[in-house]
Amino acid sequence: MFSVLATASGLVDLLGSGDDTVLLVTLGGLVGLVSSIGYTRIRPAGRIRDADVLGGVTLCLLLLVLMVGALHLLIGTTGSVVDALTDATAGLTTTALGAVTPDLADHGGRFLRAGSQWIGGLGALMVAVAVLPFFGAEREFADRSRVHGRKPMAPNQRTAVRNILYVHGGVSLGTWAGYTLAGLGVFDALLVAMATASTGGMVDGDPFTDPVVQWVAVVGMAVTGTSLVVLWRLVVGRSRGLFRSIELRSYLGLLVVGTGLLLLWTDGSGPDGIRRAAFTVTAALTTTGFPSAPAGTWAAAAPVLLLGLVSIGPMTGSTGGGLQILRHRALLQIALREMVRQLHPSVVSKVRLGGRVVSELTLARIVVIQFLVVSVLFATATVVASLGLDLATALGVAVHAISTGGPVRALDGSLLDPTDWSAPVRLAILPAMVIGRLSIYPAMVAASSAISVVRHRTRLGRRIRAFRRRTG
Amino acid sequence: MRNVGAVEGERVNPIKGRFQSTTAHVSGLSLLFISAGMLLSAVVEYLDGTAGNALLLATLATAVGGIALWWTTRPGALDHASIFTAVGGTWVAASVVGALPYLLAGTFAVAGRPWTVVVADALFESISGYTATGSTVFGGHNRIVDQGSGILLYRQLTQWAGGMGIVVLVVTVLPSLRASGLGLIDAEAPGMGVDRLAPRVRDTAIRFWRLYLGLTVLIAVGFLVAGMGPFDAVAHALTTASTGGFSTQDLSIGYWNSVAVESVLIVALILAAANFTLHSRSWSQKRITHFGDHEFRGFLSILAICTLVVSTLLTLDGMAPGRALRIGLFNVVTLGTSGGFGNATGAGSDGDWVRWAGGPQMVLLFLLVFGGCTGSTAGGVKVMRLRVGMAHAYRTLRGFRHPRALLPVRQGDSTVPDTIVSRVAGFMVVYGILVVGGTVLVAALGTDLVTAVSGVIGSLGNMGPVLGEAGPTASFVDGFSTPARLVLAVLMLVGRLEIFPMLLMLVAPYRSLRGAGRQGRY
Repeated sequence: MFSVLATASGLVDLLGSGDDTVLLVTLGGLVGLVSSIGYTRIRPAGRIRDADVLGGVTLCLLLLVLMVGALHLLIGTTGSVVDALTDATAGLTTTALGAVTPDLADHGGRFLRAGSQWIGGLGALMVAVAVLPFFGAEREFADRSRVHGRKPMAPNQRTAVRNILYVHGGVSLGTWAGYTLAGLGVFDALLVAMATASTGGMVDGDPFTDPVVQWVAVVGMAVTGTSLVVLWRLVVGRSRGLFRSIELRSYLGLLVVGTGLLLLWTDGSGPDGIRRAAFTVTAALTTTGFPSAPAGTWAAAAPVLLLGLVSIGPMTGSTGGGLQILRHRALLQIALREMVRQLHPSVVSKVRLGGRVVSELTLARIVVIQFLVVSVLFATATVVASLGLDLATALGVAVHAISTGGPVRALDGSLLDPTDWSAPVRLAILPAMVIGRLSIYPAMVAASSAISVVRHRTRLGRRIRAFRRRTG
Repeated sequence: MRNVGAVEGERVNPIKGRFQSTTAHVSGLSLLFISAGMLLSAVVEYLDGTAGNALLLATLATAVGGIALWWTTRPGALDHASIFTAVGGTWVAASVVGALPYLLAGTFAVAGRPWTVVVADALFESISGYTATGSTVFGGHNRIVDQGSGILLYRQLTQWAGGMGIVVLVVTVLPSLRASGLGLIDAEAPGMGVDRLAPRVRDTAIRFWRLYLGLTVLIAVGFLVAGMGPFDAVAHALTTASTGGFSTQDLSIGYWNSVAVESVLIVALILAAANFTLHSRSWSQKRITHFGDHEFRGFLSILAICTLVVSTLLTLDGMAPGRALRIGLFNVVTLGTSGGFGNATGAGSDGDWVRWAGGPQMVLLFLLVFGGCTGSTAGGVKVMRLRVGMAHAYRTLRGFRHPRALLPVRQGDSTVPDTIVSRVAGFMVVYGILVVGGTVLVAALGTDLVTAVSGVIGSLGNMGPVLGEAGPTASFVDGFSTPARLVLAVLMLVGRLEIFPMLLMLVAPYRSLRGAGRQGRY
C-alpha cells in the first residue's frame, strides 16, 4: 500500500514541479521490492489466533503512520516531526485534525495527503467487513450467508477484499465525477473525492464555496456513511427490502432530524440555510469533518448536537468512525433487556438485531467497547486538558479523536485550528485516533498483548505475588 | 406467595375497611417522618425567635396527608414492579411535600419572579435535599444566610433523611412488610444489593439507622471541637453523614477557612462514603476491618491518585504546593464522595474550581462519575461497578488471546458471578444513555456543553455543585434555565434510586390499569 501511495504521489508530482518525483518513486519502488521479498520468504505461523490478526492490523497501521510521516518530512511538506506524525496519523485514521497546510503547487504532497486518507478509509472498511467479523467481535454481522439466494458480500475474506475494493473504488470514482461536473478542477476534484469517500475530511483551502459542490459533498458523504453491504446490495441489484433495515432508517432519520435541529438552533433559513445545515450535519454524522464555518449565531445546543452526532457515527461497515449506529442499537436493546430483567430476574431474553439473534459474547464485547471508548475519551481529555486546553475544547478534541471526526468547534460553533494547539497536545491525541480508527478492539488487544509480553519478560506477576506473600 | 401481583389500590379486605396499597402505606409513613422533621425545625425556629407559621402549617399539612394515606391503607407482599412503584412513589411524594415549607415561607418568592419559577425552585431544592445531592438555587439573588434557622435546619434534615433512605426508615417501624422489606431496602439502597446485618429485615434497617445516627453524632462532635458553633456543627453533621453537601453558609465550608474543619469533614466524608456494612463489622468485631475490603482500598487509591494529580497540576499552575495540596485534597474528597461541599472563600478564589485550568477540572469530572462505595450514602456509579467493569473489559481482551479459556471476573480472591457482571454492564449502558440523552436535552434548554454534561453527571450522581456555570460559588439559577433545572431534578431522583426504580415505577400502575381495563371496570 505504501509503495503504491508513494509511487503514485511521485508520478502525480509531475503535474507540478516534479521536484519530489524521483525521491517518491524510488522510495516507493524500494519499499515495494522489500515487501515482495518479505511476502514470498516469510511464512505465516501454522496456528493464527484472533489476537495475532488484530495485533497485526494495529502494527500495520502504526508502521504506515511512521512511513507516511517520514515521507512528509522527506518531501518537505513540513519540517516538524510532530506535524508530520500528526498529519500522517490524521490522514490514515481519516480524522480531520491535520496540522499541515500544504503548498497548493505541491501536487505530490497534496496527493500523498489525500491518498493516505483514501488508504485509511479502505483500511477501515477492511477492518469492519473483512477482519472484525472473522477474527474479532460481531461475527453475526458479517454478510456471508446466502440468504434468499442473494449474493453475499463477504462469503470469505478474499472475496470480501475484492468486493470492498470494487465498491470503495466505485464510490470514489462517482464522487470524483460529481465534483468535476459541479465545477471543481479535475485534480482538486480527485483530492476532495478521496477525502469524501474515505470520510477523511482533510482538504486544502475551502473548496465548498459553490452550493452545487456542497450538495455533491452532502450526497457523497451520505453515501460513504452508508454500510458497504447496503451499497453492495444496490450494486448487485438485490435492493428489495433494503429500506426495511432499521439501521439504514435510523441513519437517514438522524441525518434528517439532525439537519432540522441544526436549522432550528442556528440563524439559517431558506434553501441556503438547509444546504449549510445538511452539509454540517452530514459531515458530523459521517465523521468526515469537512469544515463549515457557522453562519450567524448558534444556540448552545448546536455544538452539543454536532458532538453527539460525531460520537454516534454512521452505519456499521462504512468508512466512518464513532461507535456507529448498529452498536448504539445494540446498547439500546441491552438497556431495554436490563429493565425487563429488573422486573423478571429469571427471564431468558435474547437481543435481536437485523432479524438475527445476537450472541451473549458479542453483546458483552459491545458493552466493553462502550466502556473502553469512554475510558479512552476520559484519558485523552484529561491529558490534553493537563497540557493546556480548556475543558470544553479538551472534551471536544477527545470525542473527535476517538470518533475520527473533525473539526473541533468552540462553544459558539466556530472552528478551532489544530495548529493553535501545542505539539504535546497534538501528540497526545494520536493514540485516540488510532484506537478509534481500528474500532477499538485491534488496538486494545495489541496493547494488552504488549503489556502481557512485558509482564512475562519482567516476571512482574510473579514478583507481585511474591511481594504479597512476603507482606501477608 | 400470597397477594403477589395484587392490583394496587384494590379493596380486598372490606372488614377492615383498608385498601391494600404498599405504595400509599409506605408513602404515608414516610410523610409522618418528614412532618416530624418539619416540626423539629419549627421548634428550633421558635426557640431562635424568628418563628413564622410556615413550618407549622407545613407540618400540619404533611402530617394530615401522611395519616390519611397510612390509616386508610395496609401493606401487602410485593412483586418487583410493585416494589419499584412503592419506592419511587414514596420518593416522589416526599420530594413534592418537602417543597411545602419553602413555598409557605416564600423562600424563593423573590420580587419579579413568576410563581411557576418559585414552585419549580422549591421543588428543585426539596429534591436536591432528599436525594442528598446538594445542588442549590440559593445564590447572590437570594442568600442562604438570610434564611431563618428553622428553614436552614429543615434543609439540612431533608438531606439527612434522604442519605440513609426514607424507605429504610419506614421499614424500621413496619414489621408487617416482612420479606418485602428487604426488597424495598434493596431498591432504595445504593450499590449492588444490600447486605443483611441481622437475620430480620427490620433489625437490619434499625442497625443501619443506628450506625448512621452514631456517625452523625461523631461528626457533630468533631465539628464542635474544630471550632464550629453548635447549630452549624449539627447542621453540617447532618449533611456530611449523608454526603449531601448543603451548608448554612453561602460559601459552604469556605466560610470557616479552617484546616481543622476541613480535616474533620474529609475524614467524615470518607467514612460516610464507605460501605456501612464495614462499619457494622468493625463495631461488632471491635477492630478496624475496612482495609481488608477491596472496594474500600480501591476507593482510597482513587482519592489518593486524584489528589496527587490535582495538587500537582495546581502547583504547576502557580499555586503554592502546601495550598495546592489542601485545596486539591479537600475538593477531590468532597466530589469523590459525592459530598459537594466547597472551600472557596469567594468567587474566583483558589477553591473555586471553575476557575482552575482544564486538567484538574477534568479529574473532577471523573470524580463526579464514580462516587463512593456500595452500601454507603454516596452517589455515583460506585467504585465496585468501576472495578467490575474494568475486570470485565480485561477479561474480554484476554479472551482474544485465549479464545478457549474460561476466564472469570475476579474481585480479590472471590469470583464475581456472570449475572452480577451482566447487571453491572446493563447499569453502565443505561447510565451512559441517560448521560448522553440528558446532556442533549439540558443543552437544548439553553446550557453550554461543560455545564450541561457536568450538571447531568452531577445530578445522576447526587454530587451537588458542578463545573461550568454552576460551580461551588454559583447557584444553579445562574447555570440552568428553569426547565433545565426540572430535568436535573428528575435525574437526581433517578440517580438516587440507582436508575431502575424511578424508570420502572409506572409499570405496576400501568399493569393494574390494563388488568382493570380487561376486566371491564373502565
